[in-house]
Amino acid sequence: MAETTSTAPTTTDLVRGTLEGRRVNPVNTLVSGLLLIALLSSLLVLAVLLADVFGKGWGLLTERGADFLTTPLSPNAVDAGIFQGVMGSIALTAIVIVVAFPLGVAAAVYLEEYAPTNRLTQFITTNIRNLAGVPSIVYGLLGFSVFVNLFSGATGGRTVITGGLTLALLVLPIMIITTSEALRAVPTALREASMGVGATRWETIRHHVLPVALPAILTGSVLTVARAFGETAPLLLSGAVLSLYFAVPPEAGFVSLMTEQSYTALPMIIYNWARQPQEEFVALTSAAIIVLLAMLLIVNAAAIVARDHFERKST
Amino acid sequence: MTQEPVTEEHRTVNADPTPSATDAAADKLRDVVADRETEGPTGNSTIFGLRGLTVYYADFRAVKEVTADIRENEITALIGPSGCGKSTVLRCFNRMNDLIETARVDGSLTYHGVDLYGKNVDPVEVRRRIGMVFQKPNPFPKSIYENVVYGPKIGGMKGNLDDIVEESLRKAVLWDEVKDKLDESGLALSGGQQQRLCIARAIATSPDVLLMDEPCSSLDPIATLRIEELMLELKQDYTIVIVTHNMQQAARVSDRTAFFTVDVSDDGQRTGKLVEFDVTNRLFTSPSKTETEDYITGRFG
Amino acid sequence: MDRPGDPMTDTRSHFHQELDQLEQTLIDVADRAEQMVGMAVEAFCELDLELANRVVELDSGIDDTYLATRERWLQLMARQQPMGGDLRMMAVLLQMAITLERTGDQAVNIAKMAQAAESLPPVEPMVDRIREMGDLVRNMIQAGIDSFVRRDIDEARLLPAMDEPVDRLNRNMYRQVVEAGPDRERLEYATKGLMVSRALERVGDQVVDIAEHVAFLITGEMGEFDESGI
Repeated sequence: MAETTSTAPTTTDLVRGTLEGRRVNPVNTLVSGLLLIALLSSLLVLAVLLADVFGKGWGLLTERGADFLTTPLSPNAVDAGIFQGVMGSIALTAIVIVVAFPLGVAAAVYLEEYAPTNRLTQFITTNIRNLAGVPSIVYGLLGFSVFVNLFSGATGGRTVITGGLTLALLVLPIMIITTSEALRAVPTALREASMGVGATRWETIRHHVLPVALPAILTGSVLTVARAFGETAPLLLSGAVLSLYFAVPPEAGFVSLMTEQSYTALPMIIYNWARQPQEEFVALTSAAIIVLLAMLLIVNAAAIVARDHFERKST
Repeated sequence: MTQEPVTEEHRTVNADPTPSATDAAADKLRDVVADRETEGPTGNSTIFGLRGLTVYYADFRAVKEVTADIRENEITALIGPSGCGKSTVLRCFNRMNDLIETARVDGSLTYHGVDLYGKNVDPVEVRRRIGMVFQKPNPFPKSIYENVVYGPKIGGMKGNLDDIVEESLRKAVLWDEVKDKLDESGLALSGGQQQRLCIARAIATSPDVLLMDEPCSSLDPIATLRIEELMLELKQDYTIVIVTHNMQQAARVSDRTAFFTVDVSDDGQRTGKLVEFDVTNRLFTSPSKTETEDYITGRFG
Repeated sequence: MDRPGDPMTDTRSHFHQELDQLEQTLIDVADRAEQMVGMAVEAFCELDLELANRVVELDSGIDDTYLATRERWLQLMARQQPMGGDLRMMAVLLQMAITLERTGDQAVNIAKMAQAAESLPPVEPMVDRIREMGDLVRNMIQAGIDSFVRRDIDEARLLPAMDEPVDRLNRNMYRQVVEAGPDRERLEYATKGLMVSRALERVGDQVVDIAEHVAFLITGEMGEFDESGI
């Protein structure tokens, strides 16, 4: 008895043999290793960039402190600040939000909730996707020909309004696409529930669909706005001044800053400073980049806070 | 009861060999069984009249030529295999098919004699009178109170909203479980409670019909029995039409059952059709159509 | 309608096979019960004690099968929740199980009469009539089971008419007691014979009951056959 059990393999032994075979799967290990390398290399590029920028600009930023933000532009590297750039960027962003957000959401609501599904709407949807992929310089040209030339009466020509409208046009397709996706993610069951108790289509959208989609719409929108925030190319064509000397001085006040034909934005300043041959401007450029990154971070953080707020409200 | 009357009662029973109580029970039993033979459990009037109802989704004919009468204050079950068009028919009753833009209806469907697909009929008004409960519990992501009150509110209903909430939740047998947490999210409830909340929400608009589209398919057996019990309560006040995959459920709760199946044409087109519509007692014991018999006994040809 | 199908087209083929096994068991029991009735009648007519004892032994087998059948029946009801034709089949199977168990009991009753009458002198005209009744009842059992096996409603409808001569023979059996004469032992035998006759008449009624259930199985209509078989 004892001998047979010790020589003949039992079922337990056989099962153990199959279950405890190769523990290491080489293909699996290789693939996960490659994927990790891909992740690390993109992080590495970012880290190098940040280290470079901070290495060059952090000293100047700590030395000048808030002065750097409130001092106007100057050809003199020692006095130069970025006041007009910060103001211009904030003003541009505000215009983009005010114009593109409602327009984009409204267009998406129409496309998703009202428009019949036919060739025309399919054509429109496809083209919105195409528009989202058009290079920003083309929007700059559009802004130049439409807002600077055609509607100069309304926009005042090369003003911050022109720039804002151009950026709004640039982000509008993306705004529509992200909102559409947010609306599509709202379960049909919710619409049926609302219609089922006798709500109209608009009541259903206003009371149920939009509140549920809002966090996703906000997240998408803020990322979109952040993109506009960093754009340079369209502004080059739609009137932002490159030359530091023409920028309106801060003493002129906010209103003239908005309407005078000489505004600028943070990315423009960075672009311009980066082209300067003088050694002093290297630190200035990096400091401005840090400010730009910080502002982007603030905008994104605001988006996260807003999304969390609305998500909690709707569950 | 003292000792005395008991013995006296005993004596009377002996003296009179026809005690009326047992007779009444027997009469009732005979009445219940008689619905197999006669027109059905109730002589109620027709609330929905379907005449050759055919539904298309674009070029696809989902269900064809359904003719049936749904009666008031009865529970009517629609059963049949997947794709037989039972849900499609249910969604005609409150014009829910309107949400699918390619849906088109032929034939006629009347509600209290009024053509539901008539030119001047407002589907929003239809849905206020004909409530619906869906397959998956779908409370609004709002508080329990707001869930119930939403329908009456947008319907501009008069009366105390608090009362409406309490009455609806009581009818849905949910009040005792949620009365202390009306401001909590409806999504925080269990699946069965959510479904009863959805029933309360549907009741709140004072409809006279409740449509239920597989209301228990995502619930556990106890929650399912609870909903079934609730349906039997509710049929005092409402007409209920339920689509169910669960034959036993149809057999347990419904007064009448409609059996649908799928016709496959030579070119592979699948169209739902009504095979048999009968008193539930008869349909599940002696169906008159072979197709029904094959389905309920699990034989498919 | 009730043969186990191909699993491709019959989604409940296991259940349907169970139903078929139950049906086959009851058909076997019916054959056994029919034989028992024959043996019991033979035992009484020939006053064959050994045969009578054999009937009593056989009945315990029928009782065991009956209990097992009820148990399985209950399990299938609880687990399969049959509907339509399957549900009617279940109703018929239960009724048949009960009826056949009683038929077995009636055979035992007759056998006991045989045991009790062992030392008594047979009353010849009565013996002939009881033999006749026994043959008639056995034919009825065969016809009833045959109608069930073949799902033959026409054959089932014949049963009330077949039961009629059995009833008539039973109704007139008291005359044999009257005509048995003053002899005390003959009288005692005739009284026992009367009980045998009564038992056979009961079996006949039970077979008609089975036929009614066969009709229900086929048509879905539950009702009692009258003399003409509806």
